Amino acid sequence: MKTRRTISFFLAVCIAAMAFAGCSGSSSSSSTKTAATAAAAETPAAPAETSAAAEVTNVTIWYYWETPKHQETLDKVIQDFNSSQEAVAVVAKYVPFADFKKQLSIGATASELPDLVIIDSPDHASYAAMGIFADITGKVDLGQYYDGPVNSCMLDGKLYGVPFGSNCLALFYNTDMMEAAGQQVPTTWDELKETAMALTTNNVSGLAFCSLQNEEGTFNFMPWLWSTGTSSFEINNEQGIKALTYISSLTADGSMTKEVINWTQGDVMNQFISGNVAMMVNGPWQVPTMREEAPGLNWDVALIPRDAEFASVLGGENFGVVEGDNIDAALEFITYATSAEKVASYIDDFGYIAARKDVAEGQFTDDELMQKFTVQMKYAQPRGPHARWPEISDAISLAFNEAITQVSSPEAAAAKAQATIDSIIN
Amino acid sequence: MGKSKRFFAGDNIGWLYVLPALIYMGYFVVYPIISNIILSLQEVTVMTLTSPDKPFVGLSNYVRLLQDPVLRSAIKNTLVFTVCCLIFQFLIGFGLALFFNKNFSFSKPIRGLLMMPWMIPITVTALMFKFMFGTNVGIINQALISIGFISSPIDWLTSPGTAMLALIVANVWIGIPFNMILISTGLTTIPRELYESASIDGANKVKSFFNITLPLLKPTIESVLILGFIYTFKAYDLIYVMTNGGPVNSTHMLSTYSYKLSFEMFKYSDGSAVANILFFILLIVSIFYLRFTYAEEVNHG
Amino acid sequence: MGEEARITGNKNIFLCIASVLLLCVLLFPLYWILVTSLKTEQEIFLNPPTMYPHQLNTTSYAAQVGSGDFNMFRSFANSFVIAASTMLIAVVLAVPASYGIARYRFKGRKAVLLTFLVTQMLPVSVLLTPMFIIFKQMSAINHPLSAILADATIGIPFSILILKNYFSSIPKDLEEAANIDGCNRFASFMLILIPIASPGVIVCAVFSFLYAWGDLAYGMTFIQDQAMRPITAGIFNFMGQYGTKWSYLTAFAVVTIIPVALIFIFMQKYIISGLTSGAVKG
Repeated sequence: MKTRRTISFFLAVCIAAMAFAGCSGSSSSSSTKTAATAAAAETPAAPAETSAAAEVTNVTIWYYWETPKHQETLDKVIQDFNSSQEAVAVVAKYVPFADFKKQLSIGATASELPDLVIIDSPDHASYAAMGIFADITGKVDLGQYYDGPVNSCMLDGKLYGVPFGSNCLALFYNTDMMEAAGQQVPTTWDELKETAMALTTNNVSGLAFCSLQNEEGTFNFMPWLWSTGTSSFEINNEQGIKALTYISSLTADGSMTKEVINWTQGDVMNQFISGNVAMMVNGPWQVPTMREEAPGLNWDVALIPRDAEFASVLGGENFGVVEGDNIDAALEFITYATSAEKVASYIDDFGYIAARKDVAEGQFTDDELMQKFTVQMKYAQPRGPHARWPEISDAISLAFNEAITQVSSPEAAAAKAQATIDSIIN
Repeated sequence: MGKSKRFFAGDNIGWLYVLPALIYMGYFVVYPIISNIILSLQEVTVMTLTSPDKPFVGLSNYVRLLQDPVLRSAIKNTLVFTVCCLIFQFLIGFGLALFFNKNFSFSKPIRGLLMMPWMIPITVTALMFKFMFGTNVGIINQALISIGFISSPIDWLTSPGTAMLALIVANVWIGIPFNMILISTGLTTIPRELYESASIDGANKVKSFFNITLPLLKPTIESVLILGFIYTFKAYDLIYVMTNGGPVNSTHMLSTYSYKLSFEMFKYSDGSAVANILFFILLIVSIFYLRFTYAEEVNHG
Repeated sequence: MGEEARITGNKNIFLCIASVLLLCVLLFPLYWILVTSLKTEQEIFLNPPTMYPHQLNTTSYAAQVGSGDFNMFRSFANSFVIAASTMLIAVVLAVPASYGIARYRFKGRKAVLLTFLVTQMLPVSVLLTPMFIIFKQMSAINHPLSAILADATIGIPFSILILKNYFSSIPKDLEEAANIDGCNRFASFMLILIPIASPGVIVCAVFSFLYAWGDLAYGMTFIQDQAMRPITAGIFNFMGQYGTKWSYLTAFAVVTIIPVALIFIFMQKYIISGLTSGAVKG
């Protein structure tokens, strides 16, 4: 009886093993096909690997956008490129954002990298310093580009990539709640504090913005720091302390919930559309989702209130060409994808502002709300750039987390952060 | 040929049984262990990651890290977390194993259902607990307020002290089925006759528990505890998702801090060094464990 | 403890009620996952939260099947293949090893045990890069084999540590009896001892399977094509750069448990009774 049971157990296991042997065969062949099409069902399965006739160079791209819309838009650009010529076949692979830096580090160590990557702009300098990007100075014409995005692609005066597109942060507010509380849209820090206080109730937090202790949080803190007039690397001065004190006071008096240290920008957006938060600082990529999920919500966008000057932070992604055999093929794709005409065709769908002046100025012609982001872009500064930005960013995000949770005073937090920053940039 | 036959004739044939597994584990894990040690003795950062000659710095990474307040608190956090989790998940799992060992109608199906927490990917469980521990929208605060246990919501995940407590609760929840099932199956190795003859001799339940169950369960308990210790000590996904070491680094464990140093801040050799500190602590614990259990075995014969 | 006499009457009812209460308390988080998956995103964040969905939302389940190039059924198949193969490797390698350690007192036995423990001591973060290099040399990158081999490195030592106790607890006389009957040692090991230790073998198989099923790190790092990734990778569809979609995420959790729960329900007869059959009769 027991023996029979054991035998049937091992039989089951053997069947599974045979299934595995069978499956692995089919999955490896189906995978090339699926990888080649790389996204949704709209475009028919266009085989990127055409039959052997000409020498086709395969170019692999890694990206981290997980929104279906973004993936489809990218895929369309790739399909258009592939069908427009026969020499280069591009294939895109999705690597989740949370894993991206890890995969690149591992890939760099194991020499297993794709030909092209689309990366978060503040990380660009680090990867360039690692030596995984090719120096493409002089091989692309960036005359039409804004300075901020281009600078994020540079290290030691050399160019290591091409900007893809940019975004920034602005103030979103719930118009119904504003009206009900009889408030005007704030333009200065003092006004913001007042309005946030007025809009706070038992169930509603007046203001919220992502304050995670990571790059996303730093992204949201920088506008406040820069608004006082100081720079990314100088936080232990009157202005830096002022910024930290201001943030700390927002949570201390209850107009911003402490939970923001655990909220991603998406969480903040969810809280906003659920009516738990009256004002938030967030980016234009949230707009399509907000419109879709909360059509009944009345909201609008304004510039982030200023202290000494208006400020916002530059976000977005860059193309990085990986050092290796396929640099020219990769550049061919980039040139195609970043031509003014091409960019204009997809950048609105992305909810991004083009990094090219000639395209950006013509964007969102019938979308008043999105135009406000274009205006905010005027005041947007890039983070870093610095090869060790992640460490600097970590020191900064620790500082404002300490301020928000009141674990340290703003002065102590600023001093600690400055000590770390000094040891890095000197 | 004759010599090897003699070698394997006695107990040494055990080597043959053990060799496949040893070779497998050696092949896949020994290289990582060694390369990690080497990495921690070099200076590997953004600048040197891809260069073939990485500067050798000896133990200076360790010296510097041991003065890092975040590392020190990570060591403390990991120990506190592991010991607390182990105590609770072991005792609760043990109690449940004993309870469900009684043969009442629902015992088998419900024990089966209680294994479900084990089946959910840890990342999902962690997100769920993060949600449940939310200050305003979390169900835990709601429940505690409605039974009058607290009057205003607790900042579970945004205050240093309570964040650790939340992590422990979540990890204990995940660990209970593991302990329960292992103890349950351990209980099956105890022959019924022992209890029968003990009750004939007049021993009551408590006595037979301490004189029969516990001693015979000892090997199982020891295995469960050492495995539980090792797995909990290096637990990563739960902490990463629920708090990512926050608030303000108060719940960083050695595993999360190592990951952050390597893959978020690109300080690879520091990350390796922290991982080795974790490794070293586990090694010491295991050596003591083996000494303790081996001595016991020699006595029992 | 073998099959005890069935408890009946009031004691039975009392124990049944107690067990149901225990179930409710311990599995409440699962109830919460289910309930959240059926609420709308806005209702999920209501303060105070609702105990059951006031407005039923099933789009989260519809979205599970496929979005972009993620295909739920294919991912399940991948997970199953990886988990079953891991289980197979772990059991095949661990059973003899644990028997060898339990039964034979060879010199270095303690060191061998320590070695297996040592292989468990490094955190995943620092294992990824060297393992990636090993798998690259085996050309196993971007193939389920890499995840299988990696997951087995957890299943094997665990199984050995647990199974050795089972083999130790089998009285030597049983083996002697088998030897006399004409089986040589290995045959008696295969045909008699393994079945007797089956509760332990089952636990190890189950553990190895579940561990590989729930694994995210190895599956994500070593397999780069979305098409070959296990189901756990699907979590990133709902937990991305822009925040978490809770109703979708919890629906994903429910859906991920279903196949495993089904396997358990079918195998329950073997697993649960195997767990309680008791090793030794007289």
